[in-house]
Amino acid sequence: MRILVVEDEQKTADYLCKGLSESGYRVEVARDGFDAQHLFTEGEFDLVILDVMLPGLDGWQLLQLIRRRSQVPVLFLTARDAVEDRVKGLELGADDYLVKPFSFVELLARVRTLLRRGPPRETEHFRVADLEMDVLRRRVTRQGERIALTNKEFALLELFLDREGEVLSRTYIASRVWQMNFDSDTNVVEVAVRRLRAKVDDPYTPKLIHTERGMGYVLEDRS
Amino acid sequence: MPTLNSLAARLALLFALVSVLLLGSIGAYLYHSLNREIAWRDDQMLRGRLERMEALLDDGESVAALRQRPQLYANMLGNRDSLLWILDARGEVLIEVNPGRLPVPDLPASDEVRLDDVSGAIPARLAWQTLEQGGRPLTLVAGKLLDERRQMLAAYRLRLWLALAAGALLAFLLGWGVSRRGLRPLRRLAEQANRIDVRHLDRRLNDEGETQEIGALSLGLNRMLDRLEEGFSQLARYSADMAHEMRTPLTNLLGQTQHTLRRERSAEEYRQLLESNIEEYERLSRMIDSMLLLARTENPSKEIPLEIVDLGLLVEQLCEYFEGMAEEDRRELIHHASGSVEANCELLRRALANLLANALRHGRSGTPIRVSTLTTAERVELRVQNQGDVIAPDDLSRVFERFYRCDPARTGSVDSGGLGLAIVRSIAQWHGGEVGVESSAERGTTFTLSLPRVSRDAAVPPPPARGSA
Repeated sequence: MRILVVEDEQKTADYLCKGLSESGYRVEVARDGFDAQHLFTEGEFDLVILDVMLPGLDGWQLLQLIRRRSQVPVLFLTARDAVEDRVKGLELGADDYLVKPFSFVELLARVRTLLRRGPPRETEHFRVADLEMDVLRRRVTRQGERIALTNKEFALLELFLDREGEVLSRTYIASRVWQMNFDSDTNVVEVAVRRLRAKVDDPYTPKLIHTERGMGYVLEDRS
Repeated sequence: MPTLNSLAARLALLFALVSVLLLGSIGAYLYHSLNREIAWRDDQMLRGRLERMEALLDDGESVAALRQRPQLYANMLGNRDSLLWILDARGEVLIEVNPGRLPVPDLPASDEVRLDDVSGAIPARLAWQTLEQGGRPLTLVAGKLLDERRQMLAAYRLRLWLALAAGALLAFLLGWGVSRRGLRPLRRLAEQANRIDVRHLDRRLNDEGETQEIGALSLGLNRMLDRLEEGFSQLARYSADMAHEMRTPLTNLLGQTQHTLRRERSAEEYRQLLESNIEEYERLSRMIDSMLLLARTENPSKEIPLEIVDLGLLVEQLCEYFEGMAEEDRRELIHHASGSVEANCELLRRALANLLANALRHGRSGTPIRVSTLTTAERVELRVQNQGDVIAPDDLSRVFERFYRCDPARTGSVDSGGLGLAIVRSIAQWHGGEVGVESSAERGTTFTLSLPRVSRDAAVPPPPARGSA
């Protein structure tokens, strides 16, 4: 998967490049709009990450140029948390946006979502190690034992299973499970994960839900 | 030199204009009266002459005798602009006194005295009458050349024009002087205003002993200055508070990082440092977020979209969100909210979330938290009630201020940075609503968020209800 990162800030560009490369993507970095235009016409990309404040050709113009040529997913980054900026970006054909400062985990989650695009996978059945979830019948079992979960616990576990192996940030979890699109500055997500663990993980081995301190939570079989 | 931008010059011009109108109409009236008067007197004089002539002819002096002594008439009339003709039935001139060489006029016969103007090279006013004299009709004509009268009136007109111009000029100058004098308090006001700047916002305009109008203006400006000063000092306080709040996470970041770098550490220690740093960064990031949100709701540059929000649904969602946290603390969230309100759903959700988080943070373990609504014709009141420490009356009025904490010692990562309730108030005010708080030992602490049911621009039809997706 090839990603084009268009970012003029050296440090941001470097860490985006490193981070995305480590996550298994091939990354090209353009430092200004003209560079980006050149790289884009030369190669094929699966995703463009675009900072809208660019020297030379600005992000909006570049977005229009890109949209004229292809339907590649575009994620734009903006430092201004202004509603009109977001609306403008989405109107010009961007697929998603992130407001700076954003966490890398958050970015990675969005990148994965965009790259997986297409008809949403309606998985009906998940299985990780001995944990099984039947989405339609709303049944969760571990080692064959039925586990009773509340609605929100079920939604949380389903999110973890759907994103198996991906670190999910607290804000991402809050927005997906409770539609809380802001950092409420409480430990609601911690509590919810702790309670889910008490039911799903604590009585069993191996442990499946792991805390990535400072980043979030991940569900995977590490045994 | 006065320019038209000057109030004094404009007033002076208006004065001048008014005096031109006034003097002009008086002048015109006087001129016309004079004109009429002179004409009337001239006519009377001409009638008199005709009568005298008639009497003379009646005395038996024949026309023939009179013709012998034309000079007599000329002398009798005594000036050079008087005219006299005696004409017979055929229009032949019997007697003529005509120093102006006016052609003999052709006049219709009339038994009565008739008066008319003759225009032409030499304008004149004529009076005539036809008489029977010895069986012959005779036409007596007396006249007066109008030259003299016209000259006199022209001179009078000129004097009027001059008086008018002089009057206007005088009015302008007087008006200019008076206005400048009258506007002196305004200049004093400007001087006072000039002395007020950002560093001297405490200075005020003098509104004592000024005229009523200037006094009212000064008072209004002073009130504006009060508000500006309050806003400025608030802004300065916010900036100072914010800088102070940022110091704590930055101190942690700097200190911990430098301490770790002083010697080689294990990978685990580096990892712990980075993880701890992330927590501080998140704190900073949240603060910036909150400050931006406050800035946006306090000075909204763009309209924030409104929709009909189902309060029951919204509170339900929030209770689900906080349920886990409440249960950990053996507390129950009791939800009695219903109804709807026109608001921005995201902002309202955030305000309510802050109120609930506040109740969870400060309430006593094991006591319930009640969320309810009270709907009246105009307003919807959302109430969040919890049992906990009573808030002191001094603190009650200040809990919604930014960075205000009832207990100064309580600053920690669990705290919202002192902005949570300020955000609630700002969101309420943006919707045209207000916030309130009551606290007593018996009834616990109740925060209220009161919103108008229909927003300010009620003319716009509300968008279709979307609940609170």
